[in-house]
Amino acid sequence: MADDDQQHGPENPLLEGLSLRRTPDPCALVIFGASGDLTHKKLMPALYALMLRRLLPPRFAIVGVARSDGDDDVFRKDMKEAVQKHARDEFREDIWNELAESMHYIASDFADEGGETKLAKLLTKLDKESDLGGNRVYYLAVPPPAFPTIVEALGKRRTAEGWTRLIVEKPFGHDLESARQLNAMLWEHFEEKEIFRIDHYLGKETVQNMLALRFANGIFEPIWNRQFIDHVQITVAEAIGIEGRAGYYEAAGAIRDIFQNHLLQLLALTAMEPPIDFTAESVRNEKVKVLKSIHTPGPRSVVRGQYGRGYVEGDEVPAYREEKGVAPDSMTETYVAAKLYVDNWRWADTPFYVRMGKRLARRETTIAIQFKRAPHPPFEESSAEGLRPNVLLVHVQPDEGVSLAIGAKVPGQGMSIRTVHMDFLYGGTFRTGMPEAYERLILDTLLGDGTLFTRADEVEEQWLLVDTIVAGWQRDRPGFPNYAAGTWGPPSADDLMHRDGRSWRRH
Amino acid sequence: MSAPLDLEHWAGENIKLADVDTALAQLRVGVAPAGGPPDLRTSVMTHIAWVPADWEAQARAALAGMGERHPSRAILLFPDPDSGVDSIDADVSLERYAIPDADRNICSEVIELRLHGKRAKAPASVVSPLLISDLPVFLRWRGEPVWESQELEQLVRITDRMIVDSTEWDDLPYPYTRLAQLFERTAVSDIAWARTSRWRTILASLWPDISDVRTIRVRGTDAQAHLLAGWLRSRLDRPEIALEHVEAERLEGIDLDGEPVAFPPGDPPAPSDVLSDELDRFTRDPIYEAAVLATTP
Repeated sequence: MADDDQQHGPENPLLEGLSLRRTPDPCALVIFGASGDLTHKKLMPALYALMLRRLLPPRFAIVGVARSDGDDDVFRKDMKEAVQKHARDEFREDIWNELAESMHYIASDFADEGGETKLAKLLTKLDKESDLGGNRVYYLAVPPPAFPTIVEALGKRRTAEGWTRLIVEKPFGHDLESARQLNAMLWEHFEEKEIFRIDHYLGKETVQNMLALRFANGIFEPIWNRQFIDHVQITVAEAIGIEGRAGYYEAAGAIRDIFQNHLLQLLALTAMEPPIDFTAESVRNEKVKVLKSIHTPGPRSVVRGQYGRGYVEGDEVPAYREEKGVAPDSMTETYVAAKLYVDNWRWADTPFYVRMGKRLARRETTIAIQFKRAPHPPFEESSAEGLRPNVLLVHVQPDEGVSLAIGAKVPGQGMSIRTVHMDFLYGGTFRTGMPEAYERLILDTLLGDGTLFTRADEVEEQWLLVDTIVAGWQRDRPGFPNYAAGTWGPPSADDLMHRDGRSWRRH
Repeated sequence: MSAPLDLEHWAGENIKLADVDTALAQLRVGVAPAGGPPDLRTSVMTHIAWVPADWEAQARAALAGMGERHPSRAILLFPDPDSGVDSIDADVSLERYAIPDADRNICSEVIELRLHGKRAKAPASVVSPLLISDLPVFLRWRGEPVWESQELEQLVRITDRMIVDSTEWDDLPYPYTRLAQLFERTAVSDIAWARTSRWRTILASLWPDISDVRTIRVRGTDAQAHLLAGWLRSRLDRPEIALEHVEAERLEGIDLDGEPVAFPPGDPPAPSDVLSDELDRFTRDPIYEAAVLATTP
């Protein structure tokens, strides 16, 4: 037998052709903030969905940590109700029981040595009982002020056995300086490859489909540049208000809540160069190049707004300043629009118009690639007056899919041309059920795949841009509120486009 | 899986194939809401089913929900060669499904063609005008194919992938030698093989201890037993591995040299999931082909 065979054994011929899924290693998932909304609405339903599809490792434990009093049974009962209410799949008692068996609870705010010790003891016990190999995933589903205490406690008690991964929820800092401090604090105890910063937009199927659309279709990439694209519009619109999160939103505003993370990530995926492969480092290297290339917009290229009273879906809704917990003279923006340029060879002089806001006319996240007009349509002007430029529209949510607006002849005598849409709706073609973003992201963390997570340098580049924009805002004081709830934002956002002879997409 | 919202329908006797296209176009227009966007017609393939008389009920049952999972044009061919007339009768329907969170529906097309007399002998010429251009063509052959018949020869010629279920065949393993003659001409999927997938994963996990196995005992269908034995023989390059078969309606257990193998975790896949998975494959499966070749000495 060859030396290599003696060490590793001959290759298993029975594995060939089997479509084996990568199974995560046995591990314990510790959720800090186990009594919070995120755990109830997203994390536990995602874990249930993964269990139902047999995607969790066979030896697995979940440990919930929260301040609330309780024990394993109370935790399981609470989580069962959460799954019944929020899971996308039909509730199955047998699957739940299997998941519940692996669930444990520790009541601690982790500010005391007692909580740390209890957790360490429990994990050691679970390692022995379930042979988890010392592998750990820690999920920080807690407000940022709690991060340092928890991270330092975890860092102190790290052992050499097994691997450790840390999931950090947004917001990741509130400016560049705080993000750098947070990164530095994390790096004291964890390596960058062990840190998984969540931007849940990256877990969405349609966001990942942007990469498939661009790099799996030979027809798009050759025209995906300044030669053929007139401009790009990215919209992240929410119809809801601040949903009782005044404390957070007053300090964050739209620019930190959406622009700094989701919106810039969508822009990076739209503008990035093809990665050499689909590994975490290759994809993130290309994204960070885009973020570094974004030209800082001047004051005339950024619009901010705040909603006043208005009507959403027929209901009268209060102004932002009338929301509970919001200062009556609040200057927090609930809307941002901007014209951005990516200063590189591919995109020079091609504007990326972005807008995001709360209490807009409807919930919609889209990326619209507007192509240049045909150079010389040989038709009478009246024939094509209803014709708009070609637009490739990526619907991130809802109605996930892709539409292409093309000109087509109206049937009948003569030549009349109008714009029609060719639609590909995800739900209409792949009817297997769209996984929730958190299912994909939790599974990727268990597998150690950081492709869909943001790296430290990406986060810092995003904050650098935000800090510069916010600094410019210190010099003026717009008259808020400047748009009515249920509309598409302030008139000045329209002016931003009209000055360039363009307009926002019609809805 | 949800039931179709409704099923729009047109039927005709002694039709021309152009009538089918016209009927489909009219049905699509008919179901579009007034002033609203038309339903989406999204197709990922043409799905032909060759359905001898004994298999009509099963074929329709298997088709239920397929339009939802794999939006396609489904063409069911019911041969009736002994009919006294040479003609084609057609039943054309649109199945519409709601798209979650969208204000539009998706529609799938089902074309049932009853081929009377000589028409049953030239099925490829009947379906060729109805194939959706540039999309793969899957042929589901119910029951055991009539080997070397002109119907099979013709349909294989226009097919990218043929799907059979050798559980539906008698006198196994001998028909496998006939099936193997098709491997160079079209990719083949076997539902019976797909149903052994979970067990093959378990058996693979027994490597390297499994490498010197002498006998495999299978409680399952005849097809599953032969295919699993063929798989072990071909993968381990040990044609002498003996098969013991205990008849059962589904794969219930496997013993290796008298020792039972642990049951695979989770639930077995639903029949529609198995077929659905096969419709996602586009290339030849050399492991299956080798297993088929090793079912017979």
